[in-house]
Amino acid sequence: MRERFRALDSRLLWVILALIALGTLTLYSAGRNTPQASIWLKQSLWNLIGLSLMLLLATVDPRRIFRYSFPSYLLGLVALAAVLVIGKKIGGATRWFVIAGQTFQPSELMKWVTLLYVSHRLGSKGADSIGRLELFGAVGLVVFPMLLIQRQPDLGMALSFLPILLLIPLMKGLRARWVVALLLLVGLGGFGAWKVVLKPYQKQRVLIFLDPSADLQGKGYQVNQSRIAIGSGGLIGKGFTSGSQTQLNFLPVKTTDFAFSVWAEERGFVGVLLALGLFGLLLSRILDAAREAHTYAEAYFCAGAAGIFSLHLLVNVGMVAGALPNKGMVLPFFSAGGSSTLSFFLALGLIMGVLHRARVK
Amino acid sequence: MDPRQRPLLRRRLGAFKAMTWSLVAFLVLIYAWLQLVRYWEFKQLALQQAVKIRPIPAPRGLVLDRNGHRLVDNRRALHLVIQREDLPTRPEVVAALAAALQVDPQALTRKIQSYRLAGKGRPLVLKENLDEAGIALAERIRARFPFLSVEVAPRRVYLGDELAGHVLGYVGEVDEPLMKAKPDLYHLGETIGKEGFEASGNDKLKGVDGQKRILVDQLGTEVANFGQEDATAGRSLYLTLDAGMQKIAQDAMGEEAGAVVVLDLRDGGVLAMYSSPSYDPNLFLNRLSQDMVDRYLANNLTRPMVNRPIQGIYAPGSTFKLLVALAALEKGIATPQTAIYCAGKKNYYGRDFRCDKPTGHGSLAMVQAIAQSCDVYFYELASRMDVDDIYATAEKYGLTERTGIDLPQEKRTRIPSRAWKKKAAPKDPKWYAGETISVGIGQGAVGVTPLGLARFYALLATKGKLLTPHLFYGFRDDQSNELQMAPPPAFKDTPLDPKHWATLDEGLAEVVQSGTAGANPFIREIAKLVPFSGKTGTAQVATFVDKAHYARQAKKLKDHALFAGYAPRENPQIAFAVVVENAGFGSTAAAPVAAKLVKYWCLDRLSNPLPAPRGKMVDPFTPQPAEAPE
Repeated sequence: MRERFRALDSRLLWVILALIALGTLTLYSAGRNTPQASIWLKQSLWNLIGLSLMLLLATVDPRRIFRYSFPSYLLGLVALAAVLVIGKKIGGATRWFVIAGQTFQPSELMKWVTLLYVSHRLGSKGADSIGRLELFGAVGLVVFPMLLIQRQPDLGMALSFLPILLLIPLMKGLRARWVVALLLLVGLGGFGAWKVVLKPYQKQRVLIFLDPSADLQGKGYQVNQSRIAIGSGGLIGKGFTSGSQTQLNFLPVKTTDFAFSVWAEERGFVGVLLALGLFGLLLSRILDAAREAHTYAEAYFCAGAAGIFSLHLLVNVGMVAGALPNKGMVLPFFSAGGSSTLSFFLALGLIMGVLHRARVK
Repeated sequence: MDPRQRPLLRRRLGAFKAMTWSLVAFLVLIYAWLQLVRYWEFKQLALQQAVKIRPIPAPRGLVLDRNGHRLVDNRRALHLVIQREDLPTRPEVVAALAAALQVDPQALTRKIQSYRLAGKGRPLVLKENLDEAGIALAERIRARFPFLSVEVAPRRVYLGDELAGHVLGYVGEVDEPLMKAKPDLYHLGETIGKEGFEASGNDKLKGVDGQKRILVDQLGTEVANFGQEDATAGRSLYLTLDAGMQKIAQDAMGEEAGAVVVLDLRDGGVLAMYSSPSYDPNLFLNRLSQDMVDRYLANNLTRPMVNRPIQGIYAPGSTFKLLVALAALEKGIATPQTAIYCAGKKNYYGRDFRCDKPTGHGSLAMVQAIAQSCDVYFYELASRMDVDDIYATAEKYGLTERTGIDLPQEKRTRIPSRAWKKKAAPKDPKWYAGETISVGIGQGAVGVTPLGLARFYALLATKGKLLTPHLFYGFRDDQSNELQMAPPPAFKDTPLDPKHWATLDEGLAEVVQSGTAGANPFIREIAKLVPFSGKTGTAQVATFVDKAHYARQAKKLKDHALFAGYAPRENPQIAFAVVVENAGFGSTAAAPVAAKLVKYWCLDRLSNPLPAPRGKMVDPFTPQPAEAPE
């Protein structure tokens, strides 16, 4: 057991534990005097399970894990297809399996499985160059689950697959002109998406992003209340469990999408600096792992993981401040949720394993 | 094959790391902008929506009758409201709300729009006076429509319903023009008296509204109270009305239109004032309802909103003859013994003026002329005077002025004179002598309010005291619940010549004993129990060719029946005036109403009083249905 704990990278572990502490305090405050008063306990349980999984994975040779990446990917596709058929419909979207009273969102895990498999495929070939076939193969591997997820529909989740598509080919040596071409493609795709793919409520979200104060009682209401919560927190915040926006329920969905606003309101700019600093250290350490990795597949996985964490950070923290569209992307360690928490910890476990192997060899 | 030796991967990872830190820096900048630069702005917004100043409406004083029966009570009422700042804007929200409330969506949209334009300080009331089912519904739909709230407010309850509608009036929200005209006196959303004593006694009844600063959550529910100024309740007060007497008047009038006024001869207090048809002030507390429009406002024929005792102008008919007689006696053109021959009609200025009795009364002295209500006698008296002589007498005894009762919008009694005609008919300003003949029997241009008429008969009963009719009796002491009687308004004493008075008094007594009223067996029966005095009147509404024609006329063209007098005959206590519209003769339609009032005051009230000692709060009327639960 002691051996296992030694396998953990202490710098990464401290950052994770600190973020868990911040998130737990936030959820305690957000759930106070609501039907979700015990959500911080429930989330602590998920964190505990997640930490245990992380501990288990850290001592496993990453190469053994990559060996299972293809079957996992296939299983994930089956799960995504199955959820469309037998999944539970909540709020107009079919995203969840219900297992023993718990909801489970397969797309959360599928994101990491896809990353795992794409890293494995591209990492097992020669480095510093990427063939067209390889590239299109990778694009297909990522886009196929994205389309299945968009069927649910869940645009935010589908978009969170994009770092895989962008980062791994870049790390593998994709030329700059290809990146330009890709960005052009994304731009055109975005235009096409607006015209064809996007559902009215999704368009609405983008429009509200452009002018959040247009309709206070509507969709923009949530972001507006969140901005008021953040802004009124000021430099040092209103104090733990003393945020008026949070405690008087002006802040919407405060245990998931808008959890970070709770922290910002009650802990102020100082608290925001602390949290964002910790996230910066987390990303930094994950990229260290990419640099130290023994195989390309491991390096690609770590880089992709850093990309996915960055995207969650950017979209959630930016969204609650009204700087980005309301995409409904969770913030790791802050937003309550079992599927996402376990998925994050599984990824972190693999990264821990990469760091461990880099250290011992 | 070791990736750590590959410069490209290292280079690109280094660039990525730099990008993640710039991402963190970018987010830090956004939060610095919101939390440091725009801190005050957002702090204000957070405060604005969480801290509210809500008025605490002060309960108005209760209104009791002279014996302590409650006429106006306060109840606790719950209303489903939307605060002004929370009005929904989106049509789909309004439509969903209408569906939840089971009301017409278009009507709700109109309601919200007109409320928004009106700029009222009180919240928009969606449903008033919620009952148990209403509260349950409100609680259910509040989860979906968080901008709804339930407001607790004192509500006026008029216990007698239509018993004293015109006297009491009703309350409502202060009008914008009034509030803007007197911003020191009224504030936005304040409840004030709109009609009747609620309006004229507003300053006595109203309390001082308080306010509280509260913390509310997103649903508008009060979470904490930062402190409040309590409301000061208005003082409760007694009216001079006698609820029992008022009830007698209401029952006696029944479905007939008209007016009843009874004055207390001791101080001019109004013992009863009933305008028929009456209205139920309770209905006017709610926003205009279709029921109300149908019953009151659209009803042009009977005009129920007019307070007839002080706003109805009636030709006094024969009840006016007493003033003519008084003028003739004081002018010296007639004595009590002056006899005039009545042949059923008499010609003046080339025109026949007919007496009510076509066969004629023969030769009559003044007492009998009053008792028999001989028109020719008073044609003759009038023909010997100028119209200004009659006017001068009326003016001397204060009849040309308003009575000054403490009710709003009293009309002035109209006694014609030459000066009046110049003003009233500039195209034909000359006064014709023939017009004076009509004035002699209370027709033509003469128009009195029932209250003015009662006051004149009070003057006759008191040998010249011109009382100021009033409703305010006194405040209720908040500790002991006892009446603190207010000094009655001053009266003017213009003593009548005792000889003149004796003649008039005897004439009025004879009306009931043997004259026009005494012909009615019901009157005779009551006069046997309580001798009283009075004068019948039958005021023409239209001129008819013959009696058969008259009988065929629509009801609304029939004569108004009047009866005015005082009781008991010796040492009178009350004076009264009764008008029954389009009912025919005064002796058959109006005198019985008066007789019932006399019987109640002089007999029944004493032997069988309403079970309520002064000061104790007992409702003499059936209580309202159970109020909203806590």
